[in-house]
Amino acid sequence: MSETIRYGFYSGCCFQGADARFFDILKDVFAKVDVELELIEDAVCCGSGVIEERSELTSLAVNAKNMAHAEQMGLPLYTPCSTCYNVISNAQKRMKEDPAVHAQVNEILAEQGLEYKGTCKLTHTLWVFAQDVGLEKLKERVTNPLTGLRVASYYGCHTRNPADIQGYESADNPTSLEDILEVLGVQIVEYDTKDDCCGYHLAWPNNDLNMKMTSNVLEGAHTKDVDLMVTSCPLCFKSMDGTQAKALAQTGKNFQLPVLFLPELVGLACGMTSEDMMLKYHGVPVNLRL
Amino acid sequence: MIEKITPVRKSILANIRIQRFTPSEHKSAYFDNFKVSVETGMTVLEALRLIKNTQDSSLTFRAFCRSKICGSCAVRVNGKPVLACSTQLMPILEDFKKDSVSIQPLKNMPVLRDLVVDIEPVIEKLSKMHPYLMENRERIPETLEEESIMSKQEHSRFDYITDCILCGSCYSACSAASADPNYAGPLTLGKAYRFSADVRDSFQGERMQAAVDQGLWSCAQCRKCINVCPKDTRPAVSIQRMRKMSIDDGIHDTAGSRRAKAYTGDVAKYGQVNKPMLPVIVNGPKGWAAIEAAENYLKKHGIEPTLQVCTLGGQSSTQKIYDKVKELEAKGENKT
Repeated sequence: MSETIRYGFYSGCCFQGADARFFDILKDVFAKVDVELELIEDAVCCGSGVIEERSELTSLAVNAKNMAHAEQMGLPLYTPCSTCYNVISNAQKRMKEDPAVHAQVNEILAEQGLEYKGTCKLTHTLWVFAQDVGLEKLKERVTNPLTGLRVASYYGCHTRNPADIQGYESADNPTSLEDILEVLGVQIVEYDTKDDCCGYHLAWPNNDLNMKMTSNVLEGAHTKDVDLMVTSCPLCFKSMDGTQAKALAQTGKNFQLPVLFLPELVGLACGMTSEDMMLKYHGVPVNLRL
Repeated sequence: MIEKITPVRKSILANIRIQRFTPSEHKSAYFDNFKVSVETGMTVLEALRLIKNTQDSSLTFRAFCRSKICGSCAVRVNGKPVLACSTQLMPILEDFKKDSVSIQPLKNMPVLRDLVVDIEPVIEKLSKMHPYLMENRERIPETLEEESIMSKQEHSRFDYITDCILCGSCYSACSAASADPNYAGPLTLGKAYRFSADVRDSFQGERMQAAVDQGLWSCAQCRKCINVCPKDTRPAVSIQRMRKMSIDDGIHDTAGSRRAKAYTGDVAKYGQVNKPMLPVIVNGPKGWAAIEAAENYLKKHGIEPTLQVCTLGGQSSTQKIYDKVKELEAKGENKT
């Protein structure tokens, strides 16, 4: 029996509405590779980089609070959301570089008996699978290799940029997603728009531009005749799947490209069914030849 | 005892794929392959010069200072914008684990020939941002003998952007600029913030309007510009700060400013963003159409829709953080 890996689970805001299903999906898929998530009870929203547009200090303080709770639990902070990862990492980096700001944030947290020590480790789905679980163990658990499936891999921006917020892999040439996909048995297809941003965070301030950007990324993959796109970012997933029909209609394109959130594809390869992965809730129908 | 370090000098026979294009001759761009012995320490620019001198004199690229100061030699190497003069090839070959590397002109700008692009359209956008100081009489003394003094903290608000050399790397990396030709792009908005954040300036209003008109709220905060900037000027951070300034200046009638206020308020209230109601909060009554569409989507999948916000556990203690920050900001003691 191999050892269980545990994380402090920072859920973020991405799994609301129909996406609330991902709480169960994540839990079940992680169980397949001996990973357990323990909810960080007193967490608050990271602010998505938007609170900075009102007060940088507020953003730093709420995210220091999130990390302080993970430190108290003695566990690394795991978040499935790339933007949460980005915002919390940026806060961590900012306080590490500026001790005066770190001290002021702790002064704010002291009122609720909290201290952010600066020791909290942060991680994301990509590195949970590729590094902590490891490709070898993942390979052992793959019972249903997805051989022959042509897949476009899409990281999204917030686990990659800026380069100095993460120490896991090269920001210019990350390979964790492809490494995982290779273990799942799929055929990885290169395409031109892989490094482009889907524009999810423009959904409110400039929706038309968000739709154009999403459409551009999808079209790049579609022209390579892929079966599906897989992304490690739940927000990119919302753009690519949830708003795909609208994005393509607004830009005069006519195709359907199924998009999967990485844990779903891992689950399928580990023998879980389309029903287990609740694929029927996707905006774009997923009909895989499994 | 000082240990003598002997640098390991490596050499790889690499295939350099260079994008070629002469608008008057070619219908579309194509790649030429050149074999070059890449040695430890060799820069992209040195490789380009070697190819031009020994293999193909028609290869066209631009490079002036060769010292990371003029910004003229920016190109894309394996897709990433870099300064050719200050980027070594060996670490890239090692990072990508290949003995082949591609060199292309910057994106989002017209190609004049091979690796040379026309940066003029970007400079035109920049000129509309009023990138200069209009003197603030309260901070600039009457006589030349007196100095215009600013505190370290005031200086640090924009000091990091003054290093921008207008190389265009951030503009090339920007997906929003690719999708919307009217969007000003990171470097222009970064420069607008640089002047607006300067206490010696008195021109905020018009410059702010220029920034809003040219897409202050069209940045997706993907943060690629921070990654590629050779001078670490962090354009996306400047854009966040410019947005804050615009709201502080009273420009509340944009979807972006309404989102900023909603997120900030919601996190204090619920510990979470009130996603179900966001369409109405940001877009006004017409947002109800989006809520109805979302509800219909949920019903179609057998899920009962709710307008209840899904709160997070830290909800009860968040207001205390906000109050304390407000207190510090009111006293001018904010250290960010």
